[in-house]
Amino acid sequence: MATLTFPLSRIEGHARVEIEVREGKVISTRFQAMEKRGFNLMVHGVPAEQIPVIVPRICGVCSTAHHVASVKALEDAYGVQPPALASELREVLLLGQIIQNQATSLFVFTMPDMLGVDSLFHVSVEEADKTIQFNIAKRALKLRQLGTDLISLAGGQFIHPVKAVVGGMSSGIDATRADEFRRRLLEALPAACELVEFYWDITMRMKERIGSWGDDQPAFYITSTERDTPRYNSHIIRVMTPAGECCREFSAGEFRNFLTFEETDYSYAGRTSYEGEVMRANSLARANMTRTIGTKLAGDFLRRLRAEFGHPAHPILLFDLCRGIELVYAIERGAALLEAPLDRDDPHLPYTPRDGEGWGLVEAPRGPLIHHYVIENGVIALGEFIIPTVHNMLAIERALRVAAERYITADSVNLELERAVGRVVRAFDPCIACATH
Amino acid sequence: MTTKTPPKFAVLQLSGCAGCEVSLLNASEWVEQFDLVYMPLVVSAYDVPEVDVLLISGGVRSDEDLHNLRRAVKCAKKVVAVGTCALSGGVANLGNRDEVRELFISQTQRRHLPRLLPKSQPVDDFVEVSLYLPGCPPTPELFMAALLEPPDFSASMNVCQECGRRKLKDMKPEHLTGFLRGEVLPEICLINQGYLCVGSSTRGGCRALCTRPGHPCVGCRGPSDALIEKDSQAWLTSIERVFDAMTEIPQDELREALVSPQLALFLFQFADYAGKGKPQRPKEKVL
Repeated sequence: MATLTFPLSRIEGHARVEIEVREGKVISTRFQAMEKRGFNLMVHGVPAEQIPVIVPRICGVCSTAHHVASVKALEDAYGVQPPALASELREVLLLGQIIQNQATSLFVFTMPDMLGVDSLFHVSVEEADKTIQFNIAKRALKLRQLGTDLISLAGGQFIHPVKAVVGGMSSGIDATRADEFRRRLLEALPAACELVEFYWDITMRMKERIGSWGDDQPAFYITSTERDTPRYNSHIIRVMTPAGECCREFSAGEFRNFLTFEETDYSYAGRTSYEGEVMRANSLARANMTRTIGTKLAGDFLRRLRAEFGHPAHPILLFDLCRGIELVYAIERGAALLEAPLDRDDPHLPYTPRDGEGWGLVEAPRGPLIHHYVIENGVIALGEFIIPTVHNMLAIERALRVAAERYITADSVNLELERAVGRVVRAFDPCIACATH
Repeated sequence: MTTKTPPKFAVLQLSGCAGCEVSLLNASEWVEQFDLVYMPLVVSAYDVPEVDVLLISGGVRSDEDLHNLRRAVKCAKKVVAVGTCALSGGVANLGNRDEVRELFISQTQRRHLPRLLPKSQPVDDFVEVSLYLPGCPPTPELFMAALLEPPDFSASMNVCQECGRRKLKDMKPEHLTGFLRGEVLPEICLINQGYLCVGSSTRGGCRALCTRPGHPCVGCRGPSDALIEKDSQAWLTSIERVFDAMTEIPQDELREALVSPQLALFLFQFADYAGKGKPQRPKEKVL
């Protein structure tokens, strides 16, 4: 028996893939998370009110989602309902995260696969076509910076935000700054659409070259955004059958009634399943599970996706196109939200801390994120983080198996497998820092 | 025409959150000035080649971290420890408490994966560092300063200087407001409002990103130049003096909040700032 090991790059965190092969038959495909910090234990004994500063450090890419989820969990424990304005501000904050993350994943993580280079930054001035790539790099970086700037605007600090507080937000966004940023978003919109068009084009060429969409078997899907249009400051988790029927709705606190969570001995990250079946979270799940997207340009892209690939669509290479659609959506939606006055009243309500239990839910870029705390004597007695990436673990391993079976025969291993492994994993944009926390 | 080859740099990510890397990506000016040859987050390359500058983020948490660290520094002319985890633990410091380690060690080890070390440790416990760049994360400007080292660059003395909130003589709170509770008045010092803000003794250079929008400074950049070469007691005393002068908060209440139960002040700092066993880092090596 042979074990093939593939280190991974251009993903968030440390991970590798192991494929066991016997006489040309694929025995197992394993996705291994290689790091562990232990935030679930680190928060023991920490004063509950410090949690929203500590837990964003679970991940510098998805920090905003952790910041907001933790605040919502504490609000649940304290029985406080933030004002409507705070919910809007949190949505703006989470849209900033979507812009930042989807631009990073699309252009920094996966585009090099499509272009056949090691990184977006590998520029050689001698080659003309590389100059084009260089321009794409600059535009892509500017787009993702727009996301972090929006996080700063709504959340204070640019990577680990501080403005979501129990009871609401510490302050709103004044009209001048909102208007200035709204203009920046609208200015960036054509560039974002062009990059998504470009991405669509290179995806189709990639499909031509490799002759496959990757794993395109049906799967269950999971998200917490709303039925009609996406909303990342979410409340209810939904599951969709492979045929496209919404089969379950449940709150964060009920997740154990519907999802099975288990640890494995080969990874520092756990995994979840739905009634023992493979499910998928992240952009493709959201695109499959929203009725419309509710903005013009993103709506056009979504209709095109459904026309070309059906609804629900299953090929894993579509995760990236869906990220592109969300990038456009988040820019359009952010601009629309910044039109309303976001400092019209106090975005914060007073509250009284108390002991108890709380659950917080947001739709992070990679899917539904749950924070769960038990507070005793004002400090954390139990902290639990259910990370979106773990919902995708079985789906990643199934897709790896599809790739392995395609490229491994009794006589040889097609070296395209190495690239395929990278493509498969990056399609799901896993976040290892989060998954292991 | 002579073309100058841009200096090569690499980024080694140990156990951390990648927030430093995200910040570095925001500092996109380096794209034209440097050749990024290794950074697994964004470049497919599996070994650190010879480089002019090596940035190291994250703490040393596993045997793999340690192995990668020791190998990487051999290839670099200049080694920069970036981010609070690599320097002084950051929030990972919370995991170094014995009561947490007891659970962590028993629950966490896996057989076929990198072995976790007993504690998270700073980079300079193992290798020599030429420059320290504290912050959680350091801002893009600070990253550019670390890469280019402009001779006239210096971080401001403390966060107060960049915050610019007004300190009032006649607004003296009698008790701490709580870490995040209550209204925040704009433009008025957070200490006047009873918040446990440690910006007065924390190294500046962050543009007061947290205190400007109303969140107390948690000291992620570590002690200011005036305090960095002294032990943690000096840091503590300096904060106590500020609160003594500006508030009526009883000393016991303040001290309890600063150093216990979970060390609000040292939340982002390893015990190495407490002067145990190691020489303090010289201020000229800290950006």
